[in-house]
Amino acid sequence: MTGARPGPVTGAPEHEATATGAARLDIEELVVSFGGLRAVNGASLTVEAGSIVGLIGANGSGKTTLLDAVSGLVSPASGRLLLDGADLSDYIPEERARLGMVRSFQDCRLYPELSVEDTLMLCEDARRPVGVLSTTLQLPWARRAEREKRKAIDRVIGSFGLERFRLHATAHLSTGTRRVVDLASIVLANPRLLLLDEPTAGIAQREAEAFIPLLKRLHEVTDSTILLVEHDVPLVFELCSTVVVMQTGEVVAAGTPDEVRRDPRALAAYLGASDEALNVSGPLAPSSAAKPSADGSSAKPAADGSAGGSSSAGSGGEDR
Amino acid sequence: MLGVSLPPSVVLEGAILGLDYGLLAVGLVLIYRTSRVVNFAQGQIGVVAAVFLVKLYYDFGFNYWVALVISVALAAAVGALSELVLRRLFNRPRVMVMVATIGLSQVLFLFTVFPFIRPKKLYRAFPVPISWTFHVGTFLFSPGEVLTLIVAPVVVIALAAFIRFSSWGLAMRAMAENAESARLSGVWVRRTSTVAWTLAGALSAVTAVLASPSQTSALTEVLSPDLLLLALLAALIGGMVSLPVAFMAGIGVGVVFDLLQWNITNPSTGPATVELILFVLLLGALLLRAASLQKGTRVGERSSWAMGTAAFRTTGTALRKTVGRSGVGITLLVVGLLPFVIGVGHSFLMSQICIFGIIALSLTVLTGWSGQVSLGQFGFVAVGADIASHVGSGIPLVLLLPVAGIATALVSVLVGLTALRIRGLYLAVSTLGFALFMQESVLATPCWTVPLIHRQICSGLPNPESTLISRPSLFGLNLSSEQAFAWFSLGVLVVSVLMVRVWRDRGIARRLIAVRDNEIAAGAAGIPVVRTKLLAFALSGFMAGYAGVCLAFATERFSTDTFSPTFSILVVSMVVIGGLDSIPGALLGAVYLEGLPAIFGSTPTVEFLTSGAGLLAFILYLPGGMAQLLHQFGDLVTAGVENLRGRRRGVPPGDSTEAPSENPADPGRRSPAGAGALTMADP
Repeated sequence: MTGARPGPVTGAPEHEATATGAARLDIEELVVSFGGLRAVNGASLTVEAGSIVGLIGANGSGKTTLLDAVSGLVSPASGRLLLDGADLSDYIPEERARLGMVRSFQDCRLYPELSVEDTLMLCEDARRPVGVLSTTLQLPWARRAEREKRKAIDRVIGSFGLERFRLHATAHLSTGTRRVVDLASIVLANPRLLLLDEPTAGIAQREAEAFIPLLKRLHEVTDSTILLVEHDVPLVFELCSTVVVMQTGEVVAAGTPDEVRRDPRALAAYLGASDEALNVSGPLAPSSAAKPSADGSSAKPAADGSAGGSSSAGSGGEDR
Repeated sequence: MLGVSLPPSVVLEGAILGLDYGLLAVGLVLIYRTSRVVNFAQGQIGVVAAVFLVKLYYDFGFNYWVALVISVALAAAVGALSELVLRRLFNRPRVMVMVATIGLSQVLFLFTVFPFIRPKKLYRAFPVPISWTFHVGTFLFSPGEVLTLIVAPVVVIALAAFIRFSSWGLAMRAMAENAESARLSGVWVRRTSTVAWTLAGALSAVTAVLASPSQTSALTEVLSPDLLLLALLAALIGGMVSLPVAFMAGIGVGVVFDLLQWNITNPSTGPATVELILFVLLLGALLLRAASLQKGTRVGERSSWAMGTAAFRTTGTALRKTVGRSGVGITLLVVGLLPFVIGVGHSFLMSQICIFGIIALSLTVLTGWSGQVSLGQFGFVAVGADIASHVGSGIPLVLLLPVAGIATALVSVLVGLTALRIRGLYLAVSTLGFALFMQESVLATPCWTVPLIHRQICSGLPNPESTLISRPSLFGLNLSSEQAFAWFSLGVLVVSVLMVRVWRDRGIARRLIAVRDNEIAAGAAGIPVVRTKLLAFALSGFMAGYAGVCLAFATERFSTDTFSPTFSILVVSMVVIGGLDSIPGALLGAVYLEGLPAIFGSTPTVEFLTSGAGLLAFILYLPGGMAQLLHQFGDLVTAGVENLRGRRRGVPPGDSTEAPSENPADPGRRSPAGAGALTMADP
């Protein structure tokens, strides 16, 4: 066991090298059930390469389960998942990660006792594993690999402004900083398909606003496809090229933000009867009023204040 | 094997034995439900009461019933007191609390030696209030057994009624489900927990009073790992929640155990076979139960077995690092010169400490980093020693060490396979079972015949009572003198430390810790979870394996008792008091627990310090272990050196010190996205 992975692995693993750039994801008639409950009930969805797709819906509508199924944490009862047309069903989570699929978690717990530095090194470990034996004996290529990994994370630590937290244990960081560490590890992982589960959960409204340009930049830099679950509706409408609305495990509406905004089914399912819900408050109000919106679908500038209202209105309203 | 017979008298005898296991198991469950603690002192509390009862009855001439009430009350008070002492640990890593209860049981053992509690004559028939006997076939059941048969069920039914119908019982049940919610809805969590421990103390007294008549003295070896293992097995079958299931399982375990002993009578291989069957039953029960136990709301328990001690990194200034390095250098120099000064006996002790240091390090890797609690590390050590006893004279030592290491690593991975399904407490118990199985089955059977192909395999110690092996030479150097072997052990230890340091700093430890801390995220990030868990077992087994070879050559003459699971528990204690994931901590723990008693003899003071009391004090007041102490000492020295330098230069002391990054708390409201995020460089 100790020497199970001998030899230098300085290059990328075989299957990673085969494809680069943003990936396309097809979800076909996906069903995931927990006991008698069908958390995802025949959802179909295409995520075009290079797009940012926002998944919205009430609590319990199956969004996170859908992400779990895509990243392989739960296995679907039926249906297919295709990454660039290749069936994913035989891949366990680790292997899907090697295919360039990167997942962030809602709780963003990361690894409480690892330092920020080690957390980032870990991403590099996954991309460029070095055998235990060569590590133990500190063979030249193991040393070189470790040096190169360190160089890579130094760059990311610098560009994300994490230098002062470098040696802090993740458990001691604020949620916001942990999210930044999470994003930094995403950049390191160089994903082709990025699955984000409520990236702004648990952080203050003002910090959430700062996430919009950050996520856009992330999208550009990593040249990836993003599938995003989010309760912060204004953020989704601002950021995403396609918005998908889920209800009780099914996709009830999908389209550009403008289409979805007008779709009566989407309104009934999640957005509420009037479009007041869209304008409850929102990150758009103060910050993006001045900025041109990506898809021209800027929400009406709402009366400022009531920070944090949108996510609680979004989730609380539908929470039965 | 012979045909199986089920005589009713044996079944009944087993059931009576099982009633004791059942009572013990009920006590374990009672405490576990309310405070999530596996109380290794559960048996010992009762022993104190039983000893005191003998004292009252014979020495003071008390009436039996009065003596009984007083001693049960004493045990209840001890139970309550234990809870008060241990309470502050309830939120700490589970393995720490477990070791604390081991310490507690050792303190309680010292209690029984106090003249106030210890009776003048210990080996006397334990008093029994009735003289009824009866026959089943030709088998006579003694008054003590009759008493057990009457009292045990009554006690359990009374307890069940209390939990079912009283408000305390309701509170306990609520806490078992969800302590947080129970607390929020007004259950007085602390007081309820105290009540549970009090009850468990009284229950323990009843257990000991019932079990003692069949023993030769009141000092029942209740802590002996195999007895505790059987009670734990019963408790685990009850899922550590259900009192009735635990009780019935206890009876079942007793019956099965007695029937096995009755049916397997071959004097040479009998005990080994019984142990083998028990181990298989234990694993089966654990694997079956584990699946149903680790679902749903109780998932949270898993994480509470994780460590919770942040790793010590030398994050300080260059000067701090120099101080650390000089400390290591001086220590190494002193220890290296020691064999010149100390005698033969102490050189032998030095080898022992070095070897225990290696074993403790192997546990640092497995428990400290990977979070897998092993109570059976000496099972792996035994594998290494066994290999040495067979091929030790055949291959050169430099080859033997890694070969034994790799072989043990393979065994370790096999044990680790169970850890993929069971973890935390369940893993701890199954590794304890493995260590017992190694000692009493594998090592104790010199040769056995494979059933189907009828070939003899000699895998055990050539002579289980006393195996003799002679020390080999190392590159022509004679290791037969104790001094030479002390240097050799030190050398192996130094190499081990260097190896573990590489693992810690160059990428192995961070993988293990990541999988421990957040398995799902690690998997999603592309770290192979299963392989990483098994890797921890392999690395740890590798170290334990070659440590076993060293131990075998160090002692030269050894028996199966050299690998008693008691030592496994000792090693866990070393790692815990040393500091769970710290390399110097493991070594300090080995020196403290192995060295102090031997150097200063077993004077009462040393015994008090190194046994339970010291252990408890360390765990209660020094959560980071001795490593924390060492770290602080290093800081102190650094400050002193800086002070000196400053004074020489005429700078007021303190000015030259940089503000250390002691405060890890995130300084609040800084926009996380920062300015840097927007200038993010292309990767």
